[in-house]
Amino acid sequence: MRFDQPRGLRQSMSWLHTWSGLVLGWLLFAIFATGTLSFFRNEITFWMQPELHRADKNRIDLDRALQILAWEAPNATQWSITFPSPRNPTLGLSWQAPGQNQGAGGRDQQEGAREGASREARPARESAGGNGERPRGEGGFAAREGRPVRENAGGGGERAGREGGFAARSREDGSARREGAARSERAGRPEGEGAAQQNDGRQQGEAPNAAGGQQQARAQGGGGGGGGNRGPRIVLDPATGAQLKGRETAGGNFLYRFHFELYGMDRMWGRWIVGIATMFMFVAIISGVIVHRNIFKDFFTFRPAKGKRSWLDAHNASSVLSLPFHIVITFSGLLLFGNMLLPTAMQSAYPDGMNMRARMAQEATPPSGERAPLVDLVPLLAIADETWQSRGIGSLTIINPGDRKSIVEIRQPMAGGSLVSGRNMAESLRFDGVTGEPLAVTQAPPPTTVQAISNVFIMLHRGFFASPVPRWLLFLAGIGGALMVATGLVMWCIARTKEKEKHRVESGRTPFGHRLVEVCNVAGIAGLLLAIGAYFWANRLIPADLLQRNLWEIRVFFLIWGASGVHALLRDYKRAWIEQLAGAGFLIAALPFLNPLTGGLSLFGSISLGQGLLIGFDLAALLIGLSLFYAARKVRLHVPRVRATQAAPPFVNLQPEESA
Amino acid sequence: MKINANFMFFADRNPRINISLRVLMAIFGSYGLALLGAAALAAGTLVAKPDAVNLAIMLSFLLYLLSVIWVFATATLLKAALGLLVPAAFFGLWLALATPGGTS
Repeated sequence: MRFDQPRGLRQSMSWLHTWSGLVLGWLLFAIFATGTLSFFRNEITFWMQPELHRADKNRIDLDRALQILAWEAPNATQWSITFPSPRNPTLGLSWQAPGQNQGAGGRDQQEGAREGASREARPARESAGGNGERPRGEGGFAAREGRPVRENAGGGGERAGREGGFAARSREDGSARREGAARSERAGRPEGEGAAQQNDGRQQGEAPNAAGGQQQARAQGGGGGGGGNRGPRIVLDPATGAQLKGRETAGGNFLYRFHFELYGMDRMWGRWIVGIATMFMFVAIISGVIVHRNIFKDFFTFRPAKGKRSWLDAHNASSVLSLPFHIVITFSGLLLFGNMLLPTAMQSAYPDGMNMRARMAQEATPPSGERAPLVDLVPLLAIADETWQSRGIGSLTIINPGDRKSIVEIRQPMAGGSLVSGRNMAESLRFDGVTGEPLAVTQAPPPTTVQAISNVFIMLHRGFFASPVPRWLLFLAGIGGALMVATGLVMWCIARTKEKEKHRVESGRTPFGHRLVEVCNVAGIAGLLLAIGAYFWANRLIPADLLQRNLWEIRVFFLIWGASGVHALLRDYKRAWIEQLAGAGFLIAALPFLNPLTGGLSLFGSISLGQGLLIGFDLAALLIGLSLFYAARKVRLHVPRVRATQAAPPFVNLQPEESA
Repeated sequence: MKINANFMFFADRNPRINISLRVLMAIFGSYGLALLGAAALAAGTLVAKPDAVNLAIMLSFLLYLLSVIWVFATATLLKAALGLLVPAAFFGLWLALATPGGTS
């Protein structure tokens, strides 16, 4: 393709597609792969803390939680309790020490705690002892209010109840009837729309990013701070109130952070690099759409075992299958970085600068200094429960605990918000912390059209709205995106095999550029998967009490990734693919077996305890690992078609290659 | 697309220079145009302020995309450059008119 000669639009776009996709392709694959895993960031973090696997979220010992807070942080300006959710069955306690700023940072942190709190499941206090009447998780409130609760006959029933907690947020709909007919809508309502939230709690807890504009501050959850300065946090087994000490790990947050700001460099650098890669991706996707004008037909076309054509078909299928997802995820990725990549918009709209901190600062409530007992929280939770009906309670915050001017704030699960309303729309209720009288809350105004549009993009990107089924669909679409990038990269080599062979015949060497792409392909695709597998293994094999073990996990990730590059350099292209794919397949497929051997739950254990997120992790790992084995086997059995240049017998030349 | 010989220059005929100039125009020119467009759209009084920023950013990314495609799709370098300069002049004028008056 030469730009100095007449050419068609599709030829130009084909060139643009090829090169804009290739230049940062391996980075894009890493972003897609780690970003896809980030849809299950909480689940991954939970898996990586086997100490928490046996947490029983089916009832909540709220009194015990308050006792612990009073013991640990008697002088705190604020306590937060995050309720268990389908995405994290533990109870989280956090607080703010008096010294911490109450301004923007404080607010932000508080926001973080709240979001960390946003969970779906209701707290259920054990109102009556004994096994028979023990309220199941979702039905806890019902029990307290004297509503009937399903009585489970024996362990089997109990398990069913627990699993019900994962499968549907129906809150015992079948049996726990409410008086009002209005309540009936609750029945059968799928659970966990909000499940996505708590993942952001920690990021939100960081100091606001100075460079972040409004959108960024909202969506990225602030930068700066580096994750080291999150407030104290205690994790409890909801049922027993026992403190669970999870091993120190970055967990899924490492993968999440890596996918938009990389690692080991200034985070603004990382974000710029990812932002630039995203702009390339945007160009590559749209130019690719222009190239493939028969996009619908292409989708139904797969010609296996036909060399380059099959790769082209695979590339088309993986791209077209989730094309809307690819476009949305790329465009929304740009929007998330919008204020950073296009700072001029903010500058021209607010030439004097806009004080984000002031905007976010909450009217602080100073304590009175007089002690007063805290109101009984149970009726307040019941009111919230009554008010929000199906959406449920995400978190509970007590401002100035123990003071006469204390305030109890109960928030909806963040993700309960609709796609258009964005995450700022989770409602909250405020009560006087001594008398229990409701206080006025200023609710955010409904979003404008523009906000709604941008919310839709951002919510889709971050999966906030997603209950389990859409979340898995997003995950699958993400895998489709990773496959799209990977097949595109591989195809670059395959499309140039003939030139490579010619060059080899003439000079005896693979052309430098071709070899470079080959090595990067193996290390960037198979090597990354190998490194992710090794990251999970490191999580279990590094002693749980080793100092800075979280850093060692990340070091193992990068060491293995680097080693895969060396390996790809030393081995020939095909051997390197086979060995690294098989290695990654082994590491990942073996995770469900490694899990019980190193302190976690076995797959059967997770099933019997109803720990749905562990079941999901283990099964997905098994499936992905086996697919990688399959890929390795396909590469091993692959016999390249005999090329015309190799003096093939005449019948092979029935379809002569087009000449250069 | 036929090349109009009247507007062909030396750079057009040299494949390396041709492609290099297009790449430079696509990377820096399109990004610059997007920056300018974002500034103009955000300063213009299309919608209220916080929304204007949001909308400007969304539209500017589309502007960036279209200009990259334009730079590679056009027959000649002159046309490619004009495709960046004309909208740049338009948004520059818009920005100049919108800012000093303080209307927004």
